[in-house]
Amino acid sequence: MLTVTNLTVFLGNRPVLQDIDFSAAAGHCTAILGPNGAGKSTLLACLCGEHTRYQSQVRLDGVPLNHFKGSERARRMAVMPQSVSLSFPMRVHQVVAMGRSPYGDEMSTAGYQRDAMQLAGVWELRERVYPTLSGGEQQRVQLARVLLQIWEARLRHHPEQPYYLLLDECTSALDPAHQHSVMQMVKEFAQAGVGVVAVMHDISLAASWADQVIMLKNGKISAQGDDSVLKDASCLQQVYDLPPALARAYSQQCAVWS
Amino acid sequence: MPYSTAAAEGPLLRKVSALSRPVKVALALSVLTVAGFFWALLTGPMAITFEDVLQGIHGMFALTEVSGASDWVVRELRLPRVLIALLVGAGLAVAGAVTQGVFRNPLADPGLIGVASGAALAAVAVIVLSNSVLAGWSALTGPFALPLAAFAGGIAVTLVIYRLGTRNGQTHVALLLLAGVAINVLTGAATGVLTYLADDQQLRDMTFWSMGSLAHGRWPEILALVLFVLLPLCVVMRYARVLNALLMGEQVAQHLGFNVQSSRRWLLAASAMMVGAAVAVTGMIGFIGLVVPHLLRLVIGPDHRCLLPLSALGGALLLLVADTIARTLLAPADLPVGLMMALIGGPVFLALLLHQAGRWR
Repeated sequence: MLTVTNLTVFLGNRPVLQDIDFSAAAGHCTAILGPNGAGKSTLLACLCGEHTRYQSQVRLDGVPLNHFKGSERARRMAVMPQSVSLSFPMRVHQVVAMGRSPYGDEMSTAGYQRDAMQLAGVWELRERVYPTLSGGEQQRVQLARVLLQIWEARLRHHPEQPYYLLLDECTSALDPAHQHSVMQMVKEFAQAGVGVVAVMHDISLAASWADQVIMLKNGKISAQGDDSVLKDASCLQQVYDLPPALARAYSQQCAVWS
Repeated sequence: MPYSTAAAEGPLLRKVSALSRPVKVALALSVLTVAGFFWALLTGPMAITFEDVLQGIHGMFALTEVSGASDWVVRELRLPRVLIALLVGAGLAVAGAVTQGVFRNPLADPGLIGVASGAALAAVAVIVLSNSVLAGWSALTGPFALPLAAFAGGIAVTLVIYRLGTRNGQTHVALLLLAGVAINVLTGAATGVLTYLADDQQLRDMTFWSMGSLAHGRWPEILALVLFVLLPLCVVMRYARVLNALLMGEQVAQHLGFNVQSSRRWLLAASAMMVGAAVAVTGMIGFIGLVVPHLLRLVIGPDHRCLLPLSALGGALLLLVADTIARTLLAPADLPVGLMMALIGGPVFLALLLHQAGRWR
């Protein structure tokens, strides 16, 4: 269980998040949605301990994040940022292999690395140079890297020490087919016991995928629940400040997708 | 190697071709460095035989008295110079590779961003002011006065550059290089003021700074170099994985479980230490930190676990060759090796810039 209690985050004097309380269970898919600037990425950054000041308000299976050593935390929790740029000519298989650096076993896990690249559909790209790939290809390479970081989740079930996967708009550069196949892939990890938290923009993709939905607005949770939240036109209208007709259209779309 | 007889040459060759690229490059560089070591000892205005060289090296380890002219040339002139070339070359190249990794930019050479000139300013200040303002410093640190001061100067500039060029964990190249220009101008002016204050003897001590020369090192300097180059080298090797992760940005390195802040501090300190020691002994020698890692990245890729040790080898070899050419080209005149390196490095830097510009277009 990844738990956030009473989290208020200030960047400078501006409160970016206020009184956030929620928990993401292992084996479940949690989607975080909301308009631009609602604090979604900040929340995800707090969840993975990026903001050291707020680590004590986030608990990983009951233990505050600041009690973990960096490498211990990285063995339990993998994070995929929105985009990762590289100014050096690293090859795809080298980038993916870095997912093993919390364990230091890049040399002996060639099999895992191959499987992760095949799963993410980047096996054919393995000798390509990362900066020359398209945005969507780069995202799939990064996905292979973060999945490799928690690859053991697929092999053994750890009910007492589950793994967590945090995704920040991980499908933003993907075509619809890849979007759904990636989210399906992530879902399979959840079914193997991984707790998945994803920041998303695509409402219908979230409706088709999430077990739990958290809607943020102006740094506060404005709605929380299962995917029925997304089928509620008035809720969408309120969170995104949508015109009523559009909100209705979106909610109907979500009803179709879920 | 299990295969050493002539009959086993076939499998040996096959074995060599099956080796990974970094290993092949490492083997080639090692062989070339050893060859270069003996070539440099044998080359010079005075003819020295191979036996003299071997005898000189043996005498050095056996700590016997220097006997005869050729023994003196080997042990007091050429051997110190060769060792300094190897150590300084290795230190500068690794410092370059580390700085480029930390700043995530292939153009971040310690010479270009002002670290080397900061170190030079501190060292010149110690030379000129050791009788007056900084008398206490020289008394306190003894033979390490220069390298320590240069290290302090290098690290001060590194901190300033880091503050100026980095916003929210992202390094802005243009800002970094421009800040480097500004710092080079400032330290140049301050060095000029100190030159103005210096007396004749101090001026002679200082002239070699501006051009960079290996002609002034003796055994105490070599001792300091061994300490100030090999120690940081061990430190940065421990952080090779962090450097790899840092190439994808501070966030990703943090997600992968690395302590980014402290790693970066250690890496920059180690790099400033190597640059400082090199500058203290040889003055300003530019471009090694730029050229060597760049060429190696083209051949073996940017994985720092291979790049750092091979940069050390490559830098040592390059400076050794450049220095040997510099001192024999117009012999008996001793061309400063800093000028040689600028002649090699300038065009490479331009090519790098053009390459980057091509990518931005």
